[in-house]
Amino acid sequence: MTENMYEILQNRDYYEIRLESIGGLGANLCGKMLGELAVRYLNLNSAAFSSYGSEKTGTPVKGYIRYCLPEKEIRIHSPVVHPDLLAVFHQALMHDQSVWKGCGRQTKVLVALDEGQEELSGGLPDDIKECYVVNARQIAMASKSRINVVMLGAIAKVMGVASLEDVRQICRDSLGKKYPDALEGNLKGLESGYEQVRNLTLCTETVSRKEKRSGESQEWGYATAPIGGVNPRFGSTAVADLSPSRQGYIPIFIKERCINCGLCDSTCPDMVFQFSRGEYNGKEMMVNQGLDYYHCKGCMRCVNVCPVNALVQGSEAEHVQKQYFIPNQDMLRVPDYYVESGPDGYITSESYLTEVRMEGGEV
Amino acid sequence: MEKQVMEYAGGNEMAAIAIKQIGYDLMGYYPITPSTQIAENLDAMRAGGETDLIMIAAEGEHSAAGICYGAAVGGGRVINATSANGLLYALEQLPVQSGTRYPMVMNVVCRTVSGPLSIKGDHSDIMYLLNAGWPILFAHTVQQVYDFNIIALKLAEQVRLPVVVAYDGFFTSHQKRRCMRFEADETVRQFIGPKREEYPFLDLHQPVTVGSYMNEPDLINNRYQLYLAMREAAERIPALFAEYGNLSGRKYGTVESYFHEDAEELLVLLGSSYETAKEGVDRLRRAGRKAGTVTLNVLRPFPEKELYASCEKAGRILIADRQDSYGAWGGNLSLEVRAMMQKFGGKAKIKSLVYGLGGMDFFADDAEKMFDILKDPEAPDFAYYGVTPGDAGKTADKGNFFAPLTRERTGLGATTVQKETSGEVQVKGGTLNATAAMPKRIAPGHGACPGCGIPVNLNLLLRAIEDPVVLLFQTGCGMIVTTAYPRTSFKVPYLHNLFQNGAATLSGLAEICYRKQKKGEIPPGDIVFVMVSGDGGMDIGMGSAIGTALRGHRILIFEYDNGGYMNTGYQLSYSTPKGARSATSHVGKMQYGKTFFHKDMPRIMAATGIPYIATVAESNPTDFIRKAAKAAYYAKTEGTAYVKALSACPLNWNDNPATERRVIEAGVNCCYFPLFEKEQGKTTLNFDPDAAGKKIPVTDWLAMMGRTRHLCRDAYRPVVESLQQEIDRRFSLLKREAEK
Repeated sequence: MTENMYEILQNRDYYEIRLESIGGLGANLCGKMLGELAVRYLNLNSAAFSSYGSEKTGTPVKGYIRYCLPEKEIRIHSPVVHPDLLAVFHQALMHDQSVWKGCGRQTKVLVALDEGQEELSGGLPDDIKECYVVNARQIAMASKSRINVVMLGAIAKVMGVASLEDVRQICRDSLGKKYPDALEGNLKGLESGYEQVRNLTLCTETVSRKEKRSGESQEWGYATAPIGGVNPRFGSTAVADLSPSRQGYIPIFIKERCINCGLCDSTCPDMVFQFSRGEYNGKEMMVNQGLDYYHCKGCMRCVNVCPVNALVQGSEAEHVQKQYFIPNQDMLRVPDYYVESGPDGYITSESYLTEVRMEGGEV
Repeated sequence: MEKQVMEYAGGNEMAAIAIKQIGYDLMGYYPITPSTQIAENLDAMRAGGETDLIMIAAEGEHSAAGICYGAAVGGGRVINATSANGLLYALEQLPVQSGTRYPMVMNVVCRTVSGPLSIKGDHSDIMYLLNAGWPILFAHTVQQVYDFNIIALKLAEQVRLPVVVAYDGFFTSHQKRRCMRFEADETVRQFIGPKREEYPFLDLHQPVTVGSYMNEPDLINNRYQLYLAMREAAERIPALFAEYGNLSGRKYGTVESYFHEDAEELLVLLGSSYETAKEGVDRLRRAGRKAGTVTLNVLRPFPEKELYASCEKAGRILIADRQDSYGAWGGNLSLEVRAMMQKFGGKAKIKSLVYGLGGMDFFADDAEKMFDILKDPEAPDFAYYGVTPGDAGKTADKGNFFAPLTRERTGLGATTVQKETSGEVQVKGGTLNATAAMPKRIAPGHGACPGCGIPVNLNLLLRAIEDPVVLLFQTGCGMIVTTAYPRTSFKVPYLHNLFQNGAATLSGLAEICYRKQKKGEIPPGDIVFVMVSGDGGMDIGMGSAIGTALRGHRILIFEYDNGGYMNTGYQLSYSTPKGARSATSHVGKMQYGKTFFHKDMPRIMAATGIPYIATVAESNPTDFIRKAAKAAYYAKTEGTAYVKALSACPLNWNDNPATERRVIEAGVNCCYFPLFEKEQGKTTLNFDPDAAGKKIPVTDWLAMMGRTRHLCRDAYRPVVESLQQEIDRRFSLLKREAEK
């Protein structure tokens, strides 16, 4: 099967893969295994790395893998701009325009479908001609493995250059020694990914995608930025829309149960609760008016401390119209646009997190 | 050639493998991105029994360098690794090491020096080392990181100088590549040979004095010896490279070049960019242009002759630096290449660029563009590559998002503090409902992880303070997630300063404020100055905090204790619980996690005699608010106040974000984190889990977190028992003090 890749690489320098993921799904490890696979079993040379920072829960993570002929030295260190294969680890990422940057006719796309979903909702950019899907989360749950190994199997199949046994072996090499207990499930997940990935007839529906913008002050340059990195735009992170951080659940406010104790406000890390002076039980006091869902990361701390179940966990999909959605009351003006973002990626070593995740940790 | 095996790894991993194979005695270190992985990998090998390297996690880089120096004087083989500000913090120790001639090796994983703080790669740190008297090998590939680590120690011991192995942060440290290592550790050990000591320090029969007091006329002679040692290094390096080449099949020179022989235009640069530049050269060659590129494998001793040999034929040379020697009109590499050309009578036209700062990617296209700049007669001799002016039209101020938090807006009367005639300080109000009216000093939209305890604790602290506040954060998660440029979460004046220097900085800031108020330059009125630290900031910053407390500046020091260096991937700090796993305290057959107890910081602060010390927890929010109000009162009227909160980190504690308040509550109930205050010398236990019938064994708390869950296994019972004993000891001491 590797013949195919040799043919591809006769005519150009690299075969390039980009992984689009969010922290916690294990794209970093998946990228490393893909890189190592090429070097150990496909008689190719490769390089693998992630967008630096990353691996915080919910942070966008990009993985880059480059293949070339075995005798060629890989001299470039720059990120993959025009991928031959783009693997999207979470369907929610499809709405982000930056995910599709540099993709074109040459790009094969692989998308992890949402839980329980059979078909891809939301179309692909027009010039994408070849698309594959896999129910990664479902498979991962059934096999007690993680999304990254399911995607590893699926990517290997889509590339069409690695045998299932090669991929199994790289998985054994990477995980077997360090995490023997987790190996069996991961091999099962990998195999299912390899076998169950399927080609998708593309729908032609055009979908508008959101452009990622870094906020209102992105145009600052040396001639316009305040000196010294001083930032006079106090409170400007309020333009961030943190809903991409959520894992599908939101706190639902049942106002008539609320006793205005303020515990929710005391436990919320994201300043979501909007209290203002009002009347409760005939007494003048601070009254909970609702939640600023722009800034809610869905941690469910509030649901856990509410003594009267005035806050309950609800599925975001079932509550598209959010009742008591009150944008931050202190804001003087609505920003030009809210910027979708997740937590800041800053972690630069995967040693600890990879371990706890492999051993079934919650992060 | 010796037998080798393939690894697929990044530079940090290969450095760790080399260090393990060499069989060093000791590593003194302090975690700093992007070098931290070296210590992490070695710690994992330790836990698995692959190495018996002594690893000492210092409380800062200055101490790490000190530990290394002491161990080197003692005749040990010693290794260190650091980056950026860590290197600068250690800097004064480094000339001592070279001046007294003790060999060791330090990996410098190059990163941008603050400020503003950036964690990414450039060469602004390594260039501070040019005058330190350390030979510097610069690796531009992952393979070289491994090879140079082995060569470095042999060189160090031959010329009796400490040696640096430098490489690019992230580009080389984190990108995984195919590379080779010797199969047998013995091969490496034989190459390096036995360690010889000229003046064995620990030979009690022949005592020596190290570190003389020395002035003229002797000092210049000592320095001349150092100069001679560097000369010797210059002579020995080619032989060492050749010897290593025979062993490995990889032959290096002090200078490396690509198509320099007939190049008319030459690009000189350092580190991983050299590899990329080769790609650019290939493209230009295909287009018929005679381009070439050159880099240095050795930065000190500067290989001037070899470099000249590579540069003399070129008509035009561009030197691109990933740092600037501000005001010298070129980065340091550029200045040295220019000087070398002048010395040898080179005729080439030379230009200099500064590029790639703060980890800006360098594409092959950029290399091509640089050659175009070199060719362009209009281009200046020195310029910055990759800067953007910005568009004034697009940055028109659309107005603030929030109204300023004036005294009127925060002076709610929801929490009041009063000093009674008895001298007792009383807090009234402070209910959760009433204080919900306090406008948040921190805007939403910050980038903390879902469920993070830091903003929760900050909000509880600040809702109790009705005066205007000024905030200073030391480096840590709290600072990273709130101020990612071009945005900031702070609605009040905010300053970040280095990890070890927050309290001192705030001392200076507060004193200027009081002076300006006295002179009438700014309006009068109380302002509460709050220093915020966490993520191990009270390790490296403890000296500064104690100094501030002893001087009695009127500021509030607030510590969110999340029990580890969470902003860099969770390495152990001194406040990590004993037995907890972290990236530098792995659990394995030879190691159970962190080996020593969590630091009792409140007691250390109490010894300074400051008027107010308190511990607070979000699980007891009204107690928290009351004590925060008191602390602010003391901070504005009497002197330094210190408040410490136990702060949840769902990511690294490895528990559920939703239930963090219960985890904190369990931390309080098991007396790991007792709630008390020490006010004017009087100790009060605010919550006694025993008396409340809520006392739980520490295992109940440890079982709630993934980082400590392993301790519940039978095998770790002695560890948990010792932790329980220490907790009980501290708690009973506290109780006795409270009963007085």
